[in-house]
Amino acid sequence: MLAPALALLGMLFIFPVLYSTYLGFTNLELVGSRSHDYSFTGLENVTRMLGDYVFIKSTWLTAVFVLGSAIIGQSVLGMALAMLLRKAVLPIRAVVGSVVIIAWVLPEITVALVWYAFSQAGGTLSLLLRHPDSNYLVLVPMLIVSVANLWRNVAFSMLVFSAGLRNLPTEVLEAAEVEGASAWRRYWLVIVPLLKPTIVTNLLLVTILNLSEFTLIYAMTQGGPGTDTMTLPLYVYQEAFVFNQLGYGTAISLVLVVFGAVFSLLFVRAARTQV
Amino acid sequence: MLTQVRFEGVYKLFGAETAVEDLNLTVEAGEFMVLVGPSGCGKTTTLRMLAGLERPSYGRIYIGDKVVNNVSPRFRDIAMVFQSYALYPHMDVYDNLAFGMRARGAARADVDRRVKETAEVLGLGQLLKRRPAELSGGQRQRVALGRALIRQPQVFLMDEPLSNLDAGLRVQMRAELSRLHRRFNVTTLYVTHDQVEAMTMGDRIAVMNGGRLQQVDVPETIYDNPANIFVAGFIGSPRMNFVPGRMVSDGGRPAVRFLDVTLPIHLTAASTHEAPEEVTVGIRPEDLVWRPAAPPSCTVALPAEVDVVEPMGHEAYVTAVCSGQTVISRFPPRSGVRTRERVELALNPERLHLFDARSGESILLRTPAGEATTPPSTREAWTSDAGKTQPESPDQGEAPSVPVNRPKK
Amino acid sequence: MSVAEVRLKAQPGLIAVPYRRVSAATLAANVVLVLLGCFFLIPMLWMLFASIDSNPDWAIKLPSPTLANFREVLARPETVIAFRSSLILAGTTTVVTTVLAMLAAYPLSRMHIPLKRPFMLGILFAAGLPVSMLIVPVYQLYVTLGWLDSLYTTALFLAATSLPFAIWLMKNFIDAVPIELEQAAAIDGASTPRIVRQVVLPLVVPGLAVTAIYTFINAWGAFVVPFVLMYSPEDQPGPIEIYNFMGSHGLFKFGDLAVFSLLFSIPVIVLYLVMSRYFSGAFNFGGAVRG
Repeated sequence: MLAPALALLGMLFIFPVLYSTYLGFTNLELVGSRSHDYSFTGLENVTRMLGDYVFIKSTWLTAVFVLGSAIIGQSVLGMALAMLLRKAVLPIRAVVGSVVIIAWVLPEITVALVWYAFSQAGGTLSLLLRHPDSNYLVLVPMLIVSVANLWRNVAFSMLVFSAGLRNLPTEVLEAAEVEGASAWRRYWLVIVPLLKPTIVTNLLLVTILNLSEFTLIYAMTQGGPGTDTMTLPLYVYQEAFVFNQLGYGTAISLVLVVFGAVFSLLFVRAARTQV
Repeated sequence: MLTQVRFEGVYKLFGAETAVEDLNLTVEAGEFMVLVGPSGCGKTTTLRMLAGLERPSYGRIYIGDKVVNNVSPRFRDIAMVFQSYALYPHMDVYDNLAFGMRARGAARADVDRRVKETAEVLGLGQLLKRRPAELSGGQRQRVALGRALIRQPQVFLMDEPLSNLDAGLRVQMRAELSRLHRRFNVTTLYVTHDQVEAMTMGDRIAVMNGGRLQQVDVPETIYDNPANIFVAGFIGSPRMNFVPGRMVSDGGRPAVRFLDVTLPIHLTAASTHEAPEEVTVGIRPEDLVWRPAAPPSCTVALPAEVDVVEPMGHEAYVTAVCSGQTVISRFPPRSGVRTRERVELALNPERLHLFDARSGESILLRTPAGEATTPPSTREAWTSDAGKTQPESPDQGEAPSVPVNRPKK
Repeated sequence: MSVAEVRLKAQPGLIAVPYRRVSAATLAANVVLVLLGCFFLIPMLWMLFASIDSNPDWAIKLPSPTLANFREVLARPETVIAFRSSLILAGTTTVVTTVLAMLAAYPLSRMHIPLKRPFMLGILFAAGLPVSMLIVPVYQLYVTLGWLDSLYTTALFLAATSLPFAIWLMKNFIDAVPIELEQAAAIDGASTPRIVRQVVLPLVVPGLAVTAIYTFINAWGAFVVPFVLMYSPEDQPGPIEIYNFMGSHGLFKFGDLAVFSLLFSIPVIVLYLVMSRYFSGAFNFGGAVRG
């Protein structure tokens, strides 16, 4: 019964993964002579990466993106939303909760489109800020893209934290209140420590999920202006399919995988100890 | 400091459900008041309203002479021991104890001194570095107590703190709590469903059922003069026997007919209240004994057939059928009676309880001198001040424990 | 006001203590929430307004309402084709994924397989791998096999990438079915396929639905995979169409774009509402998210 799943996974998942690992150390190209006569080039791709200014910038951009939009942005906003929603009156809770989640359910391309419209010259943001000629997608591309990503994904963290908050022991919180602790104190000294497993879970999941974000950024900026929003996934695409450097492109993707693997292992380790 | 707690006309409604109805109760300064009743009677809700964790729908709650309805729990200067102890699981015992004082900005040295003192009093000195998960149930309970004691609040609230302990520990902790109360003398409201705890620990007992206060008094009076069938049946183990009866006239004098006997009721004051015809007669198992072992005060003999004998070691609970009614009686431990045996039970007529069969209210009040009277309005006597004779009666909701000569209405 | 309250109010002597109805903290929380709600709503509003505007622009503006945009977009054959393509792509992916996940999850849940633990962890790990790692070799593979530019083969790859998480979801759902039921059926002489079909399957239908809907939602919005694996303009699924529209500045109509996006988003929103209404536990991810 496992066979069909294993077969599909084997062919289209495991094999590509292994093949990728090999490819990353070759000089395969999409077209031209190297598409047939390619050879194993050892660490040549690695040296190339280290000397590649765009690669370094791309890594930096990816780190900024994941750190800003996901690790900090999503977690903080998700937690804030989860906490605020608990105190909200029912109509507000229903409406705001739904809106946040719809933002998450929308196809990524739609999100890209509405944020594209929002930040264009003459778009809503520029009108709100009274600079009708400013195209924010060009002026502050990383910011716009990060915020759009945050906008789209925060519902996930919100749900994770909502579940965590619901599972907190109410009597412990009541005891803290009776003992005279202010809301601030209760939050930092009781709620947050009790939520530690949830916070860790969220951080790791959010990192893994956002590390490979492609569609949103590509649809909005294609990595531009110039290379200002060229995160690693976009760079992989560019090198592999635009400049036909399949070998080099795969090598870059391997870097991404290493990052992702590290975080996945951390998550698995954390998930195990929570059981 | 000794502070009084007062509930005035307090109601709590959850949607269409009334959890607490017209509660008027005063806990005197320094008093240990036990709030007892079956599950769902409103006692925990009452406690939580006093804590500020629930808001009364109507009525006022006073701590001292301050109305605290709008005061957040943080500022009520009360301490609460939860049924589940509610210790902070991620902190060690020291931090659990210190939390309250730190929250109020106490100095480090003060906190340290008081934590050590409290730990000393409760025998927790060796456990300060441990986490709650590493403690036994009894130890956790003491930490919960310590957390409450350390703040020296005006009022203690306890929500069934002993119900999660095993039987032996429970007995021990009952004595411990009483000892602590005598030492620190803080006004305490203690909630439980266990009538043994109520009888043994309370300065006064408040019995609740269905959201309403049934009776408030010292344990002895609750036991000897229950206000209604509910209180009579709830307090006392094994449960009081209830048999149907009728009020009849025996040669012009009032009498009650039950279990195929007719007993005159001696009233010292002429009854101004029309006694109901149908009554329920209440007899405590210890007032219905085996004739051969009965004291001389048990003058009335009743034939019965033994149904079940439950030897308890120091005595035996015998269920017998008497005139078609099933009753429980307390027998000496080795009486030798067996099932189906015909025995004679002796009843002390002075220890009868009479209740209106329809309303369940008690219609007979016994004074310590042994006289019996019927209160002018039974309902009012127990839960309002309508029948009070003492002018400095402190509050509403108190049953006069010694009704003397009542002025005729 | 409930009946009980009406009855009480009629009695004299009720002491009512006025409350501050709403505390400052709650008020602040609600206000902040409304502001945040606006932050989330505003970008979406453009799409709504522009779609019914006869003269739309990038910004949100009061529309001069018209349904002309809708008529136009719906009349265009490309629209239908795009929806059809997306349906084929997402549908095939969902069917393949759900069936295979169900088949794989059952033995993983019930049988004693060597190395099960590492396998499950590997699955979780795989679920987090970036597509970019797989896309290049798969592209190569598809070139060799001549599988490029087909909705069905693309769906196959999408299924492969959706499979790890789907298996994990299904396994959790199957875990929740008490094994005693199957043991009883086995004692009654049923074979394994029959047990799965007649005992497990009916009970796991909600789980199947969640997995299917989740997979469908993801596949419906899939961009990268079809973007790379399909090149001819005829059969492109919705997201690619929208992207192409976005790329051609000035040559397209905002209104049409908004309409198409709106129409394209509606199925997923509906599916989400269905899922949350009937499977309120679904967004615990089958109990996966512990906290």
